[in-house]
Amino acid sequence: MTSFINFIQAQGDTLRNALFTHIGLSLVSVALAMLIAIPLAIALMNHPRLGEVMLQITGVIQTIPSLAILGLLIPIVGIGTVPAIIALVLYALMPIFQNTYAGLTQIDANLLEAADAFGLSWWYKLFKIRLPLALPLIFSGIRIALVLVIGTATLASLIGGGGLGTFIMQGIQNNNNTELLVGAVCSAALAIIFSIGLRLLSHLSLKKLALVIGLLIVGLGGAFGFQAYQQQQHQEVVIAGKLGGEPEILMNMYRELIQQENPKLKVTLKPNFGNTTFIFRALQNKQVDIYPEFTGTVLQNLYPEKLKSHNPAQVYQQAHQVIQEKSDLTYLKPMAYENRYALAVDQQTAKRYHLKTVSDLARVSPQLSAAFENDFYHQQDGYQGLKRKYQLHFKNVKSMEPSLRYEALKNHQVQVVDAYTTDPQIKVQKLVVLKDDLAFFPPYQGAPLVRNELIKRHPEIQKSLNRLHNRISESEMIEMNYKVTVKHEKAQRVAHEYLKSYRLIR
Amino acid sequence: MRNTNVETAPLIEFTHVDKAYQKQFAVHNLNLSIRAGEFFVLVGASGSGKTTTLKMINRLIEPTAGTITFAGRPLVDQSVNDLRHQIGYVLQDGALFPHLTVLENAAMTLNAIGVSTKDAKPQVASLLDEVGLDPARYLNRYPKELSGGEQQRVGIVRALVANPQVILMDEPFSALDPVSRKQLQDLVLNLHEKRQTTIVFVTHDMDETLRLGTRIGVMHQGHLEQVDAPSVLLQKPKNSAVSKLFLQQHGHTVSDVIAHGYYETGNGDEIPRVTVEQTLADLAQALLDAPNAAVLVNQNQVITQALYLEYMANQQE
Ligand SMILES: Nc1ncnc2c1ncn2[C@@H]1O[C@H](COP(=O)(O)OP(=O)(O)OP(=O)(O)O)[C@@H](O)[C@H]1O
Ligand SMILES: [Mg+2]
Repeated sequence: MTSFINFIQAQGDTLRNALFTHIGLSLVSVALAMLIAIPLAIALMNHPRLGEVMLQITGVIQTIPSLAILGLLIPIVGIGTVPAIIALVLYALMPIFQNTYAGLTQIDANLLEAADAFGLSWWYKLFKIRLPLALPLIFSGIRIALVLVIGTATLASLIGGGGLGTFIMQGIQNNNNTELLVGAVCSAALAIIFSIGLRLLSHLSLKKLALVIGLLIVGLGGAFGFQAYQQQQHQEVVIAGKLGGEPEILMNMYRELIQQENPKLKVTLKPNFGNTTFIFRALQNKQVDIYPEFTGTVLQNLYPEKLKSHNPAQVYQQAHQVIQEKSDLTYLKPMAYENRYALAVDQQTAKRYHLKTVSDLARVSPQLSAAFENDFYHQQDGYQGLKRKYQLHFKNVKSMEPSLRYEALKNHQVQVVDAYTTDPQIKVQKLVVLKDDLAFFPPYQGAPLVRNELIKRHPEIQKSLNRLHNRISESEMIEMNYKVTVKHEKAQRVAHEYLKSYRLIR
Repeated sequence: MRNTNVETAPLIEFTHVDKAYQKQFAVHNLNLSIRAGEFFVLVGASGSGKTTTLKMINRLIEPTAGTITFAGRPLVDQSVNDLRHQIGYVLQDGALFPHLTVLENAAMTLNAIGVSTKDAKPQVASLLDEVGLDPARYLNRYPKELSGGEQQRVGIVRALVANPQVILMDEPFSALDPVSRKQLQDLVLNLHEKRQTTIVFVTHDMDETLRLGTRIGVMHQGHLEQVDAPSVLLQKPKNSAVSKLFLQQHGHTVSDVIAHGYYETGNGDEIPRVTVEQTLADLAQALLDAPNAAVLVNQNQVITQALYLEYMANQQE
């Protein structure tokens, strides 16, 4: 609980922004969905066949996985807020349309007959009779949509749309349960608050309601439009990064290095893309100009190829080449550190058994227990391959959730865990990372992936970014990650301090 | 006694009107004139085509053949809404809108011709008063706060308030308990007498038919069998379909009427016109001939026309 409060104090601004974005995204999406679904239901209320068809269509849309929708939208509308809103609108359509349609068509036939018999106008029948009678159902449709959208809006963070999802994704990434909880609790709280708010609104008359909704749409639409307009106006170079502290630190370094040579160039950062595929697509579709990527990821995910060697320099060469051949991108020079899988033990164990390398570990493995993250445990290039290569025979091996394995280590239930080599937990728990002396794990070196077009326009950017070539050791990266993800210092400041201390900037 | 002979041009006229559903006639070759100011009751068994006939007047149902005129002009030549503004409509269950107050419900027919609810309020209030609902207490109530009888009173106010030339009523009281039904029948009789608004009233209740109608149309399987004043129908049913409805007690005698208590005491000095052994047809004839619509049976037992009709109606049930 105290960590919860500390976190909120430290991240107050970020949290407030994320909350605002999240509310904005959700309300705008539901408002747009209402603007589409309600008139549509009105148009179809006297055409039962078409109405049925429309019910089916909105139902089908609902079953499309949100990741698929986002993926499909990136090439069409790009990244950020717009595709997030489109996806959310699509999800919100069904409950609103379904309820409005049901509300309008299930009105007592006697009442409609009476309205006809009195010779009332179409407008009168719609606004004084049909809509008010359908209102309770329409409202519950909107409420369902809003709760659904507030939950789904967490996905916006995957494509740089921001919102509370950023916290959830980062929490998962950093094994930071507090962060994850803050995101999840806020999102749940929002859903509940809005649900109650809507219930209160449902007691208003149709006129007052229209006023409230109108104001909301105008206000939010204006705010978002302005924001989008501003972004459009000034975007010259867009640097993106995957989820987490480390990419954010690197992005900030890139920006400072670029702006040192090119002070007038407008550089926009889009941190916290959740997913390699999305960010790479965004790069290919020119919504992003630069992002830091690992050599291992290039060769395993982006353009899968068999590694010719496990020597970092050669792997970089291979990645560089494949990028040059197969894309319109340039893979600039790598930094020094590697961020790859490793095995780690606590200091006590390291001292007791004199462990420095994985080979050392293999000797004593029958006396030790290990806990590995689920993915690592199951993969051939994770524990399964490692076991064979080094002849590991642990007394006991468990696969578990990422954060739990560190807990298990802390409580001495296990002595060995898997880790990333720049994981700040290495510093937090004073872990000893064992050297992969047989070079089993493929190297993961970070380097900027840049669109050629940008380099053509601003050739000096290449030189600026290559200043990081061979810079940043693993321990330095761990330290910086620790500052950002555990101590919640600003990535921008941490990046700046590093560049300053090595005189990479003036 | 009400005026049963309003001799004016027909307000509503059906000529050779058919309504067929998939070759099945709901109404067949209907010829009917309804005169301005009369209280016309359409009666018949379930499915005989009463509702269909009624709804063709305000074009909720369009005939498949024939012509219907309203005030001399064919319905199809008039704008539907203009027509409907001149025709009030009262439904079986009141059909009040649950989200609107009594005032808003009743003002609706005035809204239809461009009068705001606010401007309609005095008219609504005075009519509410006329149908026995205190405006101060009822104007702002919602339908769910009213009894069935009160709801139907509001339904009647809603039909009357726009001053239509004719009011259509489709079994408006059939869902009410006998006491409320009687009260509301008295109410519409009263309103009709005062305003002389034409009323076309559908029911399958014989008691109601005989109490209300100045003229009665009997429907049977889509055909209009006979149109006449109540006493004539009782006296001279055209065919078995009609007599079945009205004279099911054929073979019963005057003594049955006496036995059921449908008599008054008095008039001991007159000569009895019928005996207790005579048939009901004889009684009906005697009632028609009697100057004061009442006949002495025994020394001091008098059967009035009203009592006779009541007896007939109650025997139906
Ligand atoms: N929409 C329709 N489709 C097909 N047949 C219909 C339709 N409406 C009415 N009918 C038929 O037309 C006939 C007359 O119906 P109508 O409603 O006029 O009867 P009614 O005399 O009002 O009966 P009730 O006393 O039960 O209300 C019935 O046989 C009914 O089944
Ligand atoms: Mg009927």
